[in-house]
Amino acid sequence: MTSALEISGLSKTFGDKVAVDGIDLVVPQGSFYGLVGQNGAGKTTTLSMAVGLLRPDAGGSRIFGADVWTDPSTAKALVGVLPDGLAMPERLTGREVLTYLGLLRGLPRDVVAERAHELLAVLELDEAEKTLVIEYSTGMRKKIGLAIALLHAPRLLVLDEPFEAVDPVSAATIKTILRGFVAGGGSIVLSSHVMALVEQLCDHVAVIDKGRVAVAGPLEQVRGGQSLEDTFVGLVGASDLGAKELTWLSR
Amino acid sequence: MAVALTMVAMKVAILRNSMTGQKGSLIATGGGLGLILVAGTVAAAVLNGDLLAAAYAIWMLGWIFGPVFAGGGDETLRPEYFTLIGLPPRRLATGLLVSAFVGVAPAISLLALTGLVVVGVRQSPLAALVALPAMALQLAIFVLLSRVAVAVLGIALRSRVGAISAGLINGVILAALGQGWILAVALGQAGGLPAGVSATVRYLPSGWGLVAVEAAGAGDWGHTALAVGAMAVLVVLLLAAWAALLTRRAGATRPSTRGRRPMRASTVSGAVLAKELRTWSRDLVRTHQLTFALAYGVFFTAAPLALGWNGMLPLAGPIFIVMAAAMSANVYGIDGTALWLTLMCPDAADVRGRQRAWLLTVGPVAVTLTLAFTSVTGGPWPLVLALTPALLGGGAGIVVLMSVYGLIPGTDPHRRGGNPLRFTEDDGAMTGQAYAVLALVALTGAPAGVVAALSGWPGVAVGVVTGVLCFWLFGLLAQRRLHSHGPELLHMMRTGKRPPAAPGSRWGRVRFEDLPRRERIVSVVCWSTGAIPLFPQGIVAGAFKINATSERSWFLALYLPEALQWPVIVFMVLLGLSMYGLGLWLPYRHRDRHRAGTASRGDVQGLTE
Repeated sequence: MTSALEISGLSKTFGDKVAVDGIDLVVPQGSFYGLVGQNGAGKTTTLSMAVGLLRPDAGGSRIFGADVWTDPSTAKALVGVLPDGLAMPERLTGREVLTYLGLLRGLPRDVVAERAHELLAVLELDEAEKTLVIEYSTGMRKKIGLAIALLHAPRLLVLDEPFEAVDPVSAATIKTILRGFVAGGGSIVLSSHVMALVEQLCDHVAVIDKGRVAVAGPLEQVRGGQSLEDTFVGLVGASDLGAKELTWLSR
Repeated sequence: MAVALTMVAMKVAILRNSMTGQKGSLIATGGGLGLILVAGTVAAAVLNGDLLAAAYAIWMLGWIFGPVFAGGGDETLRPEYFTLIGLPPRRLATGLLVSAFVGVAPAISLLALTGLVVVGVRQSPLAALVALPAMALQLAIFVLLSRVAVAVLGIALRSRVGAISAGLINGVILAALGQGWILAVALGQAGGLPAGVSATVRYLPSGWGLVAVEAAGAGDWGHTALAVGAMAVLVVLLLAAWAALLTRRAGATRPSTRGRRPMRASTVSGAVLAKELRTWSRDLVRTHQLTFALAYGVFFTAAPLALGWNGMLPLAGPIFIVMAAAMSANVYGIDGTALWLTLMCPDAADVRGRQRAWLLTVGPVAVTLTLAFTSVTGGPWPLVLALTPALLGGGAGIVVLMSVYGLIPGTDPHRRGGNPLRFTEDDGAMTGQAYAVLALVALTGAPAGVVAALSGWPGVAVGVVTGVLCFWLFGLLAQRRLHSHGPELLHMMRTGKRPPAAPGSRWGRVRFEDLPRRERIVSVVCWSTGAIPLFPQGIVAGAFKINATSERSWFLALYLPEALQWPVIVFMVLLGLSMYGLGLWLPYRHRDRHRAGTASRGDVQGLTE
């Protein structure tokens, strides 16, 4: 069976800084894959290159076997992406953004209208019917971003920090949607630095450190009996951090 | 003062970090131009006081209106940076003011103000001494006026009415500056600067320093004190006004809650069009740009009415088109990283949609202006009817082409600060781009304009043809660029930096020797012989025909029957142009293929461009 996402030898250097240094990852179909790492470890850069938003210095990426760079039409139709912190068509309302993107993806008009209605209702964005995206809060932006990623019913979701700034109620809704998506045969890759969240949701996990894969595989195998957080701290070699206290803060 | 000094240190640090590569050379160019203006001003100081006062009035207008074009002026240090520190507004404004004196523009202006010292030295040592504080106060007035103007505009741009009136006022004033020759003609008729003008330019705040120095020279110390005192008071008032405006700026904007018309598009291109049209009508910055262009076009051409001449009126439409194109040239840049959505839907024709939206926004206004104003003067119909379609097509082509080839990364709309005019960190490049687009779009109207001026109605056909061609061809090139360089453009938007230009970057990647032999030969033939059909057989033959010269020389067309002569001339011109085009395109196409080949092997050379 072809993998949902196959990343091979991805590398990227910005100036003198090696951001991603030869990353290989295989995301099997039907898996819920977590990518964890410290800030600046290269998660966002890797995901951007994997879906064709950033050109790698070396290496490639295939989505269900379709090469992202040589067969972008096929590859990009199969994937829904939620990037972290990028702009959207800011002067449109949520419903208009979904209508616009649905049509852009080639969906028939009535299908777009129906799905947009359902997505807005489920994500509780329908109350802000008249609000332009530019006036959305950070959490609302995440939710409309997720709606954009889901709209064309992709087979793979690539989500960069999907739960950041999202309130607990919406987070629960999103988790339900994502679990349902995987149960229905979809595959998800998400990045996060909240270990508990990854443990709760994912069945596979990869730890990225300094632009490389430190360890990757099924969750149970990676954490080997301890918590993911302990495994992670052990792997990235920052176990003595707890000792550094800010002495001037305590009275 | 500690706050002010810290802010100065901060600004120096930021300037030092940004003074590299392209930006550095841009600043150097600006500084060089400024020095020429300084030389002119000091020369005026040597000549006579009236001229100097007029020159300072122009400097002041430059400080007030320059930022409208330069993306909101100098915002190296933003008020928002300091909101959490809880400084009282007055101290914040003082600190920002002191740091505002650090930079190239204030330094240049200070040099220009040495004209006051020149005037003083020519009168008396004491007058020269008075010139020193007058210079400092005058500079403070310039800088503060600029800040207050930007702050007022910033608040105006939060409402539609404000955006429209700001665009209107700015357009009228800029048009008046551009039509300064009318003033000169009027003055020429009156014989030198009339007394009224010479008094007016001294009453303006820009003339107070000069008044102080001149009064000191004449021993009239009462007037000196009055002028210096007035400047000091004005500085304090402006500072207070700015401080008050800064607190307004940091406040939140009201969200809009109007009803929205539903999106009825049902096709891919319709969706892009609908999105763009909504952005045009909802983004107040774009509203401001369009109103500005409209006011500029109307008042620029109406100004000569003051001299009883209406001959410029028919050009209102064409000038509006060119100005609107220049203002909206960075169309991808101002959307920021929203480009990622375009990249994720590679089959949607985003470029064409934007072109059509631009045409739909600018076109109807331009056509109405052209028809209405030309009926007033009763002509010249062929010229305006040739220019309008040519410029509309040219504008719709150049705007998208420029924004992908010369992309200036914009700040994402939701991350912009309190200054709505500020949509990029690279305002110098933004201004340069606006001028480049002015020139390029005007150029796309040239063929139609020339033919219409020489031979009348055929110009209209030329205008329609070049308009359609520009729309189609430039759009196609832009689309190709977006396809081949999309990720690089997105990366530029993300980082907000243009990559440093590699030497010979655009064509350097593929050397001529790398072309396959057949293409090499075709390319050489095109380059070396394209001139023959274009110039002698085309343009020169046409000129001979228009002037009814009897000489036929070796111009093929002129030996043919009358009915065939024009078609052959046009064919020759087109043949010449296409040969050059082919000569350019072959290496270009090869370069793209070259890159596609290497990209799939994972060795992406194009990234270094």
